[in-house]
Amino acid sequence: MIAERSPANTWIVDDDSIYVYGLKKLISIKELNTQLSHFVNGEEAIYALKKANEDYNLPDVILLDINMPVMDGWEFMHEFAKIKPQTGKKIAIYIVSSSVDLNDIYRAKNISEVSDYLFKPVRINQLKEVFDNV
Amino acid sequence: MSFFEKGKLSGDDVHLTPLINDLDTGIWKYNFNTREVKWSTGFYTLLGYQVNEIECDAYTFFEHLLYHGDKPFFFNAINNRITEDTPSLQLRFLTKKNGYQWFETAIRKLDDEHGCMVYGSLININRYKQDDLLSANNQITNDDAFKTARLGIWEIDPQNLNTIVLSKQVYDLFDLQNHLKLSVEEFISFFEPPYRPVLQNAINHTVEDSRPFDIELLLRSAKNNMLWLKVKAVPVIDHLGKCTSVKGVIQDIDSEKRKLLKLEQSINLLTDQNRRLQNFAYIVSHNLRSHTGNLQFMVNLFEQTETTEEREEIFSHIKTISDSLDLTIEHINEIVKIQTEITKERKVVELEPMFKNICSALKNNIETINAHVESDFTQCREISYIPAYMESILQNLLTNSLKYSHPDRQPVIKCYTFTEGKHIYLIFEDNGIGIDLNRYGDKIFGMYKTFHQNTDAKGIGLFITRNQIEALGGSIKVDSTVNVGTKFTIRLV
Repeated sequence: MIAERSPANTWIVDDDSIYVYGLKKLISIKELNTQLSHFVNGEEAIYALKKANEDYNLPDVILLDINMPVMDGWEFMHEFAKIKPQTGKKIAIYIVSSSVDLNDIYRAKNISEVSDYLFKPVRINQLKEVFDNV
Repeated sequence: MSFFEKGKLSGDDVHLTPLINDLDTGIWKYNFNTREVKWSTGFYTLLGYQVNEIECDAYTFFEHLLYHGDKPFFFNAINNRITEDTPSLQLRFLTKKNGYQWFETAIRKLDDEHGCMVYGSLININRYKQDDLLSANNQITNDDAFKTARLGIWEIDPQNLNTIVLSKQVYDLFDLQNHLKLSVEEFISFFEPPYRPVLQNAINHTVEDSRPFDIELLLRSAKNNMLWLKVKAVPVIDHLGKCTSVKGVIQDIDSEKRKLLKLEQSINLLTDQNRRLQNFAYIVSHNLRSHTGNLQFMVNLFEQTETTEEREEIFSHIKTISDSLDLTIEHINEIVKIQTEITKERKVVELEPMFKNICSALKNNIETINAHVESDFTQCREISYIPAYMESILQNLLTNSLKYSHPDRQPVIKCYTFTEGKHIYLIFEDNGIGIDLNRYGDKIFGMYKTFHQNTDAKGIGLFITRNQIEALGGSIKVDSTVNVGTKFTIRLV
């Protein structure tokens, strides 16, 4: 028997509560090997990241929305770039958005810390891949 | 009859007669007392006649030969005191073949035993006079052309590189009455401050590197008229190629330039509107997609779950999505309506009663947070506007101020108007939580942009407000300090 891999520590940064609910539900139905935390905007996530860094509890994956109040996805990336040198762990960040605006897509591709740009709603295969890559 | 007949000249002068008669100049003499007239041979020749071909008398002289229009002038001259300094007269005489021609005559007076005499020479100056008149005419034509083109000449004085020589037209453009000499510095100071270094640099480059220039500058004339001028110049160089002075033209291009600026403004406005329209399309697509995406998501989950409990939960989300979708479409309608309503007629809107109505409609919201709402429309009580827009603008701004009031103090909201020049301004001020404009800037007027974790923030109000204001040619600007308050300055017209 193959040894069970430890679940991917995944953070969802998104203000759309229905989407977050659906994602959680889907993951539990499909029994994907992941553990979810949810933050409603970039500022909360940055705050939590700083704390998690001290507690050696950084996420493996961040699924980041763009349009959020208080601190949006772009500002989050800007803040993340500042604290990245202090983190010892590789964090895979996926931008997950309904925006088909090419400007948004190019902008995301130009940020080195961003692994990929996924369109909402995310398909189950894409999610599997994201967690398997960890 | 010849002027100097033999024997008529006295004594020593007799030998001069043939000489005088051979000259290409005529001599005439007139005796006031006897009205006797005498002409030299040259006089006849100059006018194209043979000697004695015409009667030599006062009548012929004054009534036939001398141009009637010059008669008063001539009489005036011979009746006045005549000295050596009396200038020559320019008169028209009728010639035999060539009509009236211009002649110059120097006159002298003499009193002797024969009576009071006036005598003079006669020289044909027709060619010279014609050229003179033509050149004067050309000068007038040139002046007219320069005047019509509003074009003048300027030159840095090669003798004194710090002074400027200007043509009359330039003084006119500058509204300078007396043609005083200007230094380069004074000349430059007539242009508006941002253009002074531009002109100074251009002149420097021309002087130093012999580089010509052609620039457009805004002038403030002596009478405070603002005028766009085209200032062109080329270097004047010596045989070594060194610039010795700068010479050029100044032209009034005000109306063209203003049209151009207006056109540029329209293009900017169009570009801006286009950009916003595209942005709008993306936003609509984004928002519709996020709802339909969620709907698909929930429907899929619904199919994959079996328990009634789970299905009920998912269905409640589907209902929420349905409501959100409806709201989004309502917002889109509202935005589209801005464009359709713009064709509606403007009416005179009385601000005070309209604002009072809005306040009473929002009475509950105002009382809940115990807000103090002040208004003062005494500076401008009414405005010609689309009433629905004005109502929407006032309501959105008031709602915005109420929504983002500061929890630690009594909310104070001020709304007032004032006029400045042709413009009417509306000010909306509050002491609310404010917004960090360095961070969010103009985004606050963006669609679906919300900045505070407020559940009732939809990010549509200010977007619509700005679109309504701009649709009627106005503008909106925001000043804000976090924890102090926010001030919207709206130029309505």
